[in-house]
Amino acid sequence: MNQTTESTLWQQCLHYLEGQMPEQQLNTWIRPLQAVEDGECLRLLAPNRFVQDWVGQNFIETIENVVSELGGEQTRRVSLEVGSTAIPVISGGDTATTGTGSQSRGPEHTVVRGNRLNRGFTFENFVEGKSNQLATAAARQVAENPGEAYNPLFIYGGVGLGKTHLMHSVGNQLLRNGKSRVVYQHSEGFVGDMVKALQHNTINEFKRFYRTVDALLIDDIQFFAGKERSQEEFFHTFNALLEGQKQVILTCDRFPREVDGLEERLKSRFGWGLTVAIEPPELETRVAILKKKADQAGTALPDEVAFFIAKRIRSNVRELEGALRRVMANAHFTGQEISLDFAREALRDLLAMQEKLVTIENIQKTTAEYFKIRVGELLSSRRSRSVARPRQIAMALAKELTTHSLPEIGDAFGGRDHTTVLHACRKIRELRESQPRVEEDYLNLLRTLTG
Amino acid sequence: MHSSTKAGASMVSEQELSGTPQLALGLKLPDYSAFENFVADTNAQALAAVRQLSEGRLSGVVYLCGPAGSGKSHLLQAACRHAHEQGRRTLYLPLTSFQPLGADALEGLDRLDLLALDGIDGMAGVGEAETALFHLVRRVLDRQGCLLVAAAQPPSGIHWQLPDLASRLASGPVIRLQLLDDEGRARALCLRARHRGMTLGEEAARYLLRRYSRNPVALFSLLDELDTASLAAKRRLTIPFLREALHAWQQRHHPGD
Repeated sequence: MNQTTESTLWQQCLHYLEGQMPEQQLNTWIRPLQAVEDGECLRLLAPNRFVQDWVGQNFIETIENVVSELGGEQTRRVSLEVGSTAIPVISGGDTATTGTGSQSRGPEHTVVRGNRLNRGFTFENFVEGKSNQLATAAARQVAENPGEAYNPLFIYGGVGLGKTHLMHSVGNQLLRNGKSRVVYQHSEGFVGDMVKALQHNTINEFKRFYRTVDALLIDDIQFFAGKERSQEEFFHTFNALLEGQKQVILTCDRFPREVDGLEERLKSRFGWGLTVAIEPPELETRVAILKKKADQAGTALPDEVAFFIAKRIRSNVRELEGALRRVMANAHFTGQEISLDFAREALRDLLAMQEKLVTIENIQKTTAEYFKIRVGELLSSRRSRSVARPRQIAMALAKELTTHSLPEIGDAFGGRDHTTVLHACRKIRELRESQPRVEEDYLNLLRTLTG
Repeated sequence: MHSSTKAGASMVSEQELSGTPQLALGLKLPDYSAFENFVADTNAQALAAVRQLSEGRLSGVVYLCGPAGSGKSHLLQAACRHAHEQGRRTLYLPLTSFQPLGADALEGLDRLDLLALDGIDGMAGVGEAETALFHLVRRVLDRQGCLLVAAAQPPSGIHWQLPDLASRLASGPVIRLQLLDDEGRARALCLRARHRGMTLGEEAARYLLRRYSRNPVALFSLLDELDTASLAAKRRLTIPFLREALHAWQQRHHPGD
């Protein structure tokens, strides 16, 4: 589809090589090459330097031989470079030598313009719940009063919970409100742009680009850790924007103070505005997310199915959506309606994989680590509160997360009776309702084990 | 597709005919993995999802897991082959073969139309490699590209240092491949042989399963030797011939037994 220039010579060459080389080598090194017939030269474009080097070392001679045989009277040179026919390649004019000599590349070495915002991430399709209420409210404030309300807005939380979605929502809203220069960039992209700018002596252009925006959205700033030069550059960009009352929004997988390898002055500045957390969504929000996603895909998802999926996939929104995609793909494939049985069948291996991974041993180990006791103590006959409570929690988790029978669970906990397990499960159920601390411990462990 | 392989083969024969006595080599058709020679049985939905992805009718990540010999690499190779035939730019990268793999191997691969990464669990636990893989996956997802990955375990069963990577890998369908039963393996072997221009009966295939190996990868590579042997001996792949060929093979590789 992207091959705008179809080289018949290369097609013939490929046909020949298909009879000569193992399938795997073809798929790894030869088929990814694109070809452009350029006068007397057959220019082969490799997707990156790694492929270019490997082909140059191992296959170029064979290719040259085949090309010269196929070419008949006309002799053709073969050159190998990094590039793609999809993007116009800047011709370096230095393709004189055959083989790996040429270095001309696509235009990606200049700072890429454009706001990089994903139009699909808006406030309208962001599902609000208790777990993200504060962050959503703050984001809406910033979208209406950029550079004034909270600057910077720092959103942190675990993976796949919607930080990026929220960030893009602000960006898209700002565009709608008439702010034209909104730029989203992943921290890795910021670092990459800077490195390229240094290589190509365009650092001033780089600075101008990032310091003259209305709003700068940088995702996953934990990847700045240990990159001193990038932090330095970002520090100055950050200051310039804040001074000019331009909005900065940052996301991170943890609280700024907890990012190792990040300069103190950055950490302290990140705290100048508002720092908000996004928590893992609770059941009702997970159900609402599934319903909304299915709705967007034009698929009817019955409530009971949404609850079924939401109850089993607790770790994060991204995986929740992954499970929904699996169910929808199956429905599409079989042409069946999505029912509870259908969803159970579609997710059977996914759920079985989870169950398989959660073993009683694993539960014991994780629980012991969590409460900082030894597994041996968990299995011992000690009945002091500091050991008995974790033991009861571990038993309740074993009942919830595995398919083992009560006698089996009792056995695994130092040969206890099944009534002891039953008692533990009841006790923990009561405590979870009456003591927030127990509830929190239980949910933390549940997430660790199923995450 | 056959026209292409035949074109390749005929060129070989011309070359080989000019002087060398190994006529047999020139008549062989190459072994390859395609959707057409994948015996799906219980893995029909995996096949459907991979096909959709390879045609660009589905985007994002499709994650295949399952034990060795369940057909993961076959589907990845077949997807690349199919996508390539449709004019899409693809690359198959077996990560386990390239340890230690630097970040530069993955550079720029997000711009392909379809990227197939085999054995991604081989990168787990290596900080730099994981980070490179994470950024690659993230960029593919950002531009709504197509990524097909395979590993023995599901994303949650691999000890990643970056939880973000596991969650992105699980953002699309995670499909477990089941091993074929012996009857399915025999059919797969026959089909594989037929695509190489060999005639192998089901009874003969079952014989090989009993006497040689039940591992599809080992069986498929045995076809190569059998092809050469049957062409050289000008004999069909009958059970008596297979018995002799296996015996000769064993003499060569394990002379003491």
